[in-house]
Amino acid sequence: MKIGLVQFAPHLGNLKKNLELHLRYIELAKKKNIDLLVFPELSLTGYLLKDLVEEIAIQPENDSLFKKLRAETQGLAAVLGFVEEKEKGLFYNSSAYLSKGKTLSIHRKVFLPTYGMFDEARFYAQGRNFKPFPTPLGTTGMLICYDFLHFGSSYLLFVGGAEFIIVLSAAPGRGLSEQERYSSSEMWELMGEAISRFTTSFLIYCNRVGFEDGIQFAGGSFIFNPEGKLLAMSPYLEEHFLVQEIEPSEIREARKKWPYRRDEKPEIILKALKKLVGKDED
Amino acid sequence: MKINCIFVEKIISQFIREELNKFGFRKGILGLSGGLDSSVCAFLASKALGPKNVIALILPYGKTFPQDVEDAKEVVKLLGIRSKIIDISPMVDTYFSLYPTENKILKGNKMARERMSILYDFSAREKAIILGTSNKTELLLGYGTIHGDMACGINPLGDLYKTQIKQLAEHLQVPEKIRNKTPTAGLWPGQTDEGELGLTYDEIDKILFELVDLRREKKKIIASGFKREAVNKVLKLIKKSEFKRRLPIIPKISSRTVSHDFLYPYDWEI
Repeated sequence: MKIGLVQFAPHLGNLKKNLELHLRYIELAKKKNIDLLVFPELSLTGYLLKDLVEEIAIQPENDSLFKKLRAETQGLAAVLGFVEEKEKGLFYNSSAYLSKGKTLSIHRKVFLPTYGMFDEARFYAQGRNFKPFPTPLGTTGMLICYDFLHFGSSYLLFVGGAEFIIVLSAAPGRGLSEQERYSSSEMWELMGEAISRFTTSFLIYCNRVGFEDGIQFAGGSFIFNPEGKLLAMSPYLEEHFLVQEIEPSEIREARKKWPYRRDEKPEIILKALKKLVGKDED
Repeated sequence: MKINCIFVEKIISQFIREELNKFGFRKGILGLSGGLDSSVCAFLASKALGPKNVIALILPYGKTFPQDVEDAKEVVKLLGIRSKIIDISPMVDTYFSLYPTENKILKGNKMARERMSILYDFSAREKAIILGTSNKTELLLGYGTIHGDMACGINPLGDLYKTQIKQLAEHLQVPEKIRNKTPTAGLWPGQTDEGELGLTYDEIDKILFELVDLRREKKKIIASGFKREAVNKVLKLIKKSEFKRRLPIIPKISSRTVSHDFLYPYDWEI
């Protein structure tokens, strides 16, 4: 199975140009026999939209751009990010999994970062679910950027049987050290390794690059195998098209050796969680 | 405080290139004083855009700082960038002959704004974006002239402290005599930044880093060995100069107001 990660810089607020870029990458991916092509968070729109959010929101089912994209996914699966107007006036930071001409699933970002340099909850409605879904390539779950830094999100995908966890990201670089990378890149890699290893799933992280209003997205997209081994990584800061062959049988191999999934007790966790959450509300 | 200069050079070069592209510019223009910050900016711009796309304006007031003019010329020659020397004394002297003053700060600010005015004029003539040269230390302390040396199109060095720019200068091989110069705003002969601020850049940057980057509380910073008066002074300068870092305040009257709740990205592509 072949995976492609598009580490690129979308044009901010320009759906048409970004659609063309997506179609070009899909065409390229088909030539390279890629089975699963992943774009970063908000790949159709750019990230720092602010008041543009409402001007650029779409409803995937009847949107003409989406029809074009879906039509191109006969031979491969594509995962991309966009602003979704789920119902009138409610905008979500969403991702879609397209395959065989259909939208197999949509994930709406749950954890909207609203602190420091981030202001997402001001512009977006909050998603309310983490739900893995079956695909021809295996059970898959999607997360968007900050979702992934809350490990409960990955836990739910794990309990739901995900074999592939796909993270679409628009993670800005921040913090300098003596190393040749942003300090913030480290936390994504740390999480990638830990989550792939302890969910015994493939972890596919696609980040973007480019500047928006002086904020630089750090790149460094990666794929970990189900035993926490780094299979491939894109460079930091540069545009890059990562193509990586993976071996899906590694999921079974990992779960034989490391039976975290078999031994998981979600019902105990749920009970304990209910007690904790109930207590909180008192 | 130590930075990886290879990485930072890459970030700033990409920033300069991308921003110019987005706004449809090919050239950058900057005021080159012969000091550390503008020299570093010229080096970075030259690498990012190619020397022929960088225009350095050397804008002395008469013959006050001959050595700085020579150093600026040397940077131009080293990089092979375009340049022009314009003496600002006729314009400034005409003004002060009508409205005389002995106040050095008034004179210095007027000179800084005269330079700004020429930079904006040449920016339009040359279709070149103005590259600012204010560093993070100056921005936080408000140690600059509003609408003078602080005015620019983009500011590539604005998130680096003075001492970090010094590291970058060494990496970029900026001539040693420029790197070792005593920092001065050039407001009057003999004036030095550190003399005027009463603290060294080394002390200031360490305190700023604690306050701003690490968000540590004042009492903890003092307890860890910094002088109370120094920390207080830095804090006071930061607070006093917020107006220099913001657009002018607009009273909110309508339902949607510029700079309050009319929020569009700078880099909006149409």
